[in-house]
Amino acid sequence: MNRPFALIVTDTSPLLTLVLADSLDVLLRPGLPISIPDAVYVEATRVRGSPGADQIVAWINAHLDWVRIVPTDIGIDQQRRLEEGRSIRGLGEQAALEALERFLRSNPTAEALLLFEDSDVQKRRAVVDERVSLISTGEFLRELEAAGLIQSTDHILDRATARGRNVARLREIGDHDPTRERLRDQMVRRRDAPPTKR
Amino acid sequence: MVADEREALTRQYAAGEITWWTLRDRGLDNYVEVLGQLGKLGLRPPIARDEGPNMAARSRGRTLIRDALKTHLP
Repeated sequence: MNRPFALIVTDTSPLLTLVLADSLDVLLRPGLPISIPDAVYVEATRVRGSPGADQIVAWINAHLDWVRIVPTDIGIDQQRRLEEGRSIRGLGEQAALEALERFLRSNPTAEALLLFEDSDVQKRRAVVDERVSLISTGEFLRELEAAGLIQSTDHILDRATARGRNVARLREIGDHDPTRERLRDQMVRRRDAPPTKR
Repeated sequence: MVADEREALTRQYAAGEITWWTLRDRGLDNYVEVLGQLGKLGLRPPIARDEGPNMAARSRGRTLIRDALKTHLP
């Protein structure tokens, strides 16, 4: 492809689905440059140690020739909101639209493909511009499956939900860990106890 | 959000009745948790059906990926 082109990730869900399925590399299979708006990147990775976060960071660093983080004004606003403890919901998609507009403005022949979450792309009206195409995570995987590049779309989605389920279980166990509860009780008792003389 | 409500929303999402955007609006805004809830219920994330307001752009997208894969097949 000779014209300027970008596959823009509009939301955390494709990244999180693929990273939990250990399948982020499928994004590289079409050989298209991938742009991840800063707000999407931050939303997916800001909690260090959260499921998939470290893997996403490592994957991007391992593929800097194909994957880039796009700085946006929305990303700056997101930082401010995080500092102030305000909601950042929906900012990933807004940042993607900002990244798209800048990219299309940069060159009249530029074309972009937006990667969306499936239910959103089916029901919510997205950008209408002849130079912009859309694809969902599921549609993307189905194309790879049809080309014989992955075992099956369902297999990847099942792996993602299985890992998500394990994460949820670990959280539940963590929330009900008796050792942690004892430690918490001990700390509360110590906090409430009168200071001892030295 | 109570567990019953979370389960009901997740089922609606898996069935394609509500969007990820709606889930976020209703307070389920961590996609890893959504995947976990789907796994717990034995469900999968929905795959977009061939309908809705973006069909032309989605059709272009699939063609684009198909062509790119042809060029980059090992």
